[in-house]
Amino acid sequence: MAIAIDIQSVSRTYGPIKALDGIDLSIKAGEFFTLLGSSGCGKSTLLKLIGGFDRPSEGRILFDGRDVIDVPANKRPVNTVFQSLALFPHMTVAENVGYGLKLRGVSGPSLKAKVEDALDLVELPGFGPRTIGMMSGGQRQRVALARALVMEPGILLLDEPLTGLDERLRQQMRDEFGRLHRRTGATFILVTHNQDEALSLSDRMAIMHKGRIEQLGVPAQFFECPANSFVARFVGIETLLKPERIEMRDDGPHAIVAGQSLRLRSPEASLGADGLVAIRPDRLRISENIDIADLVLTVVETTFRGLQTDVRLTFADGQSLVAVVSSDSPTATVNPGTQVPLSLLPDAAMLLSGSGMPPVA
Amino acid sequence: MTVHEGLGNRTVLWVIAVLGLLVIYAPPLYLLAISFNPALQPGLPSLSALSLDWYMALPREKALIGALQQSFLVAFVTAVFATFLSLLAALGYIELRLGRTTWFLAVLLPMFVPGVVQGLALSAVFTRIGVKASMITVISGHLLWAMPFAFIVILTSFAAVRQNVLLAAADLGAGRWRQFVDITLPLIRPGLVSAFIFSFLLSLNEFTRAFYLAGRQNTLPVVLFSKMNSGASPVIYAMSGAIFITSVLTVVALAMYNLVREKRMN
Repeated sequence: MAIAIDIQSVSRTYGPIKALDGIDLSIKAGEFFTLLGSSGCGKSTLLKLIGGFDRPSEGRILFDGRDVIDVPANKRPVNTVFQSLALFPHMTVAENVGYGLKLRGVSGPSLKAKVEDALDLVELPGFGPRTIGMMSGGQRQRVALARALVMEPGILLLDEPLTGLDERLRQQMRDEFGRLHRRTGATFILVTHNQDEALSLSDRMAIMHKGRIEQLGVPAQFFECPANSFVARFVGIETLLKPERIEMRDDGPHAIVAGQSLRLRSPEASLGADGLVAIRPDRLRISENIDIADLVLTVVETTFRGLQTDVRLTFADGQSLVAVVSSDSPTATVNPGTQVPLSLLPDAAMLLSGSGMPPVA
Repeated sequence: MTVHEGLGNRTVLWVIAVLGLLVIYAPPLYLLAISFNPALQPGLPSLSALSLDWYMALPREKALIGALQQSFLVAFVTAVFATFLSLLAALGYIELRLGRTTWFLAVLLPMFVPGVVQGLALSAVFTRIGVKASMITVISGHLLWAMPFAFIVILTSFAAVRQNVLLAAADLGAGRWRQFVDITLPLIRPGLVSAFIFSFLLSLNEFTRAFYLAGRQNTLPVVLFSKMNSGASPVIYAMSGAIFITSVLTVVALAMYNLVREKRMN
């Protein structure tokens, strides 16, 4: 049975370092939840606390309303797919998968049947007698997954499980996670630094930074209204412009960048001077007619990316943005230095707080 | 390997290897040859006069046989205790955070105490507290000698026990004891076996401590030494030869076993 998790004002400090700083988070039973963040943001620490491998310095963790702080890892209804996989090198595939069941007292034909079912589930039928050394990276990944799933856990923790796999395997395993989540109905918690994984798999997700949750919600919200410039950058909104000032006009607030005006999505006009203007690349169009254009920018370079071409455009003050155009459009082959008219679709530009902003690389 | 050394380099490497092996094996082989010489004076036998006389005489040498039995018994008990205690010491080392180095050096220290000093010191202390020299005193001396080596060997084998593998076992429901039995022990087994063999051999060959600490029944090295000094019959060469041949056969058997196992693994 899937289990709901309540994390209440949880902090974890290691000496002077605050790895987690007052986390409040409710994860629903049966949800696919992702903790997204770069390394050192506290996401793995949070996972350890849920798994029972570490204790919070402050706060409570509840499973279905029951406090589990004093329950050790081996007694929690949680199983983990470790980043390092942590397979038992001296056991066969079947022994690895069956180890947890054996500890529960399952034996004989029913143990064998369950192990075989689990190996079928991860598409490794008949691999039981092999040693771990004989398995490839992707196969080991599946063994680790089977070893956790065979326990029918209420909560499955996935700690960067796709790190170190090549792109094709990542795709395949990613699909696998989605399929297994629907099939088992358990609460899945994925920890990753890869936004594609997070966006494609999660029912809900949280972006973490410096031990805090920056934003929590369904994946689409992170694009529609990123909480701040850090979140925007993390989900792939690369263009963040520093405006000269914000003006209120009849049709709403406008940001002035290098003398040109960008119409902002209305509610966030009062953020003060440290605000940044984020521009969604998918709402930017190269227009045909220079008279009705919102902006006129200068081409710096074009980068061919197959079906699409990135066109880097610059303002008079040197700030730049990237427009994505189809590779067969005339703009894709335009020369650097050319002036290009751009139009902004509604909600293309938003004013974000600069807080949590990482140093620009 | 696709890299080939030049012919010149290869020749040099072979010459060095053969010379090294000669230096190591020539003395015991010389002793082995002597043991087949029926003459009373030690020397290389002529090929026509090879004989097993001294080997036939071995079973009648009650003193040597008794010493051999004693040595094996002492070595076995020493190896069992040294392996067990070193395992505990290594587990302690793994659990310790602060004071690790101190603990490491404390366990290792007896290795650096000269055998003569340690034998004498133990003998003096045992006499002082009224413990008579016996097999137990020899074993205690040998334990001090063998344990540091066994400790290092076992500690090295702990590198195979990654922390996250123990976490994974805990994740699947294993408490500390089951983690130890199911994960740690099988992973460090090669270390335990090596530590046992190492301690066994160290004890079997040990002379100085046994010299001070043995009771009525001396160990083989002590007996061989005294016999050699008293100019006894060449049976001692036969005894040395027998031990050498047994060792070689054991090593060959082990090598064959490993070869077969590797073949089966692939």
